[in-house]
Amino acid sequence: MTLAIAAVAAVLFGTGSYLLLQRSLVRVVAGIALISQCAIVTIIGSSLSEGRAAIDPEQGGPLSDPLPQALALTALVIGMGTLALLLALVHRVVVAHGTAERDELRDVDRPAVSEPEGAGRRAGDETE
Amino acid sequence: MTALTLALLVPWAAGLALVVLDGRRRAVAWTSVAALAATLAVLAVLAADVLRGGAVEYVTGGWPAGVGIVLRADALGVTFALLSASVVLVAAAGEAVVAVRERTFPGLLVLLAAGLNGLFLTGDVFNFYVFFEMAMIAAYVLTAYGAQRAQLRAAVIFASVNLLGSFVFLLAVAGTYRVTGTLAMSDVAVRIAEVPASAAVAVAVGFFVAFSVKLGLFPFHYWLPTVYADTRPAVAAVLSGAVANIGAYGLLRFGAGIFTDQLRFSATVLIVLGAASIVYGGVLAVARRRPAEMLAYSAIGQVGYVLVAVGVGGPVGLAAAVLYSVVNALNKTLLFLTTAVRGPLVAGTFVVGALSVAGVPPAVGFVGKLAVFRTAVDARSPTLVALLVLGSALSLLYLFLIYQREFWAEDDDEVSAAGDDARGEHTRSMSLRAIIVALALVLLVGGIWPEPLAALSAAAADSLAAEANGAAR
Repeated sequence: MTLAIAAVAAVLFGTGSYLLLQRSLVRVVAGIALISQCAIVTIIGSSLSEGRAAIDPEQGGPLSDPLPQALALTALVIGMGTLALLLALVHRVVVAHGTAERDELRDVDRPAVSEPEGAGRRAGDETE
Repeated sequence: MTALTLALLVPWAAGLALVVLDGRRRAVAWTSVAALAATLAVLAVLAADVLRGGAVEYVTGGWPAGVGIVLRADALGVTFALLSASVVLVAAAGEAVVAVRERTFPGLLVLLAAGLNGLFLTGDVFNFYVFFEMAMIAAYVLTAYGAQRAQLRAAVIFASVNLLGSFVFLLAVAGTYRVTGTLAMSDVAVRIAEVPASAAVAVAVGFFVAFSVKLGLFPFHYWLPTVYADTRPAVAAVLSGAVANIGAYGLLRFGAGIFTDQLRFSATVLIVLGAASIVYGGVLAVARRRPAEMLAYSAIGQVGYVLVAVGVGGPVGLAAAVLYSVVNALNKTLLFLTTAVRGPLVAGTFVVGALSVAGVPPAVGFVGKLAVFRTAVDARSPTLVALLVLGSALSLLYLFLIYQREFWAEDDDEVSAAGDDARGEHTRSMSLRAIIVALALVLLVGGIWPEPLAALSAAAADSLAAEANGAAR
């Protein structure tokens, strides 16, 4: 079981890293989401024990470790929050720059910064 | 104990309330400054308690220790908490006296302070992660402050790279739990000694990578110049003066406090990386033209000194690392804030900051540099001393290049037209200048009367040594 979880975590991290290196910002976000899932799977794998839930223990019976489950829940919530934030940021970037390609963000550069947003957007469109 | 819980509750409650209010209104902006000042006052009380009577502990929810989450304030934690809260306060006041441009800005600064306090004052590895994310989420949104295209781009870069760092940290936390079966820092420090060396090193490397990304050390620095240079000056000051402290604190707490053996094992690597950071940051800063970009590369170089001091270790090295982190955070805050304003008074404060970074006597940077040099001499390495001197010389060079271009130029507008300024207009606000001058005076006073700072950093290093000794026993 530990091996299976390790393999899943490795695949998640690998695909996440691959997506992270892509040019499209949306794919970058998807890559980060996958890597966050990899961390959560690793947390679950950090203490695998078969048994009953800690809230309803059997007398003398085996007990599953509740701590990683609590950690995984917390990490899931945080991960979802950061993901939503990141998507919102990417949306703002698309609105301001007119593109979701990482390399094109680099092209639209400094002098345009102090211009009003509308003018900047037109310059961004021209580079496409 | 009350001070400990208040240090978390005050900024947390105030931040939540302020985020929903319109921060562009003066009253709200000043309320956030007041909340930060109150936080700082509580932290000062807590620091006095800790320095007088040793570490303060509090187990949340009244659970027995080992079940409940432990909040723990020791000298190292309160030093960094005080430092970060002051930097955030200065940045908030600086933005409040001019004009806040976005409604969430003041509230987010307070929430950032809450997250930072939490992570500096926790005794639990996972709780550290939770507060760390809380601080970082506030920082991601703050990076986009201004909402021009450059800032949005900086925010996306900052958020994606640092999220990756956060998840590497989370992986290391999972690894810690796997190999030690506990998440309380003090227990981890004890049990890590019995863990097979390869597993312990793997976990330690995970933590090291996560904190190096935060700190912007040499091989992990790639995100830093764009972000620091493109955000607004107040945000750049917060990022370099408060958020980067997470990295320095993490290296000290996890490296010197928990993974002591692994740190000793990899000391050479740390020193080499630190030296590489110093030289790389210095050389690239000289090669840049925009002041903000030069300061960003300077930040990469300056954290190298901290890493070198951590790598050398021992009471002298750790005290030097704490001292230098404090000094560096104050320097960077001052210098990034000066990029927003112009005038003879500001030129003077810039010189104070520049001398402080280079380590020239009247400024507090001298004390920091002296401590790091003493560490290098202790390590008996002439090469290291030579590299540190080279780094200082480079920093003097690039800072006076900035001074020459920015403050000796006859006409400010000409400089701006030359494309040196990407942040829009310079403010000529008198009160912002007053804040900057006050910060410069703090740097000068710290240099003339360094005893309190030296005592604080020595106490912080002692608390780390005590933690490590407790583990050895």
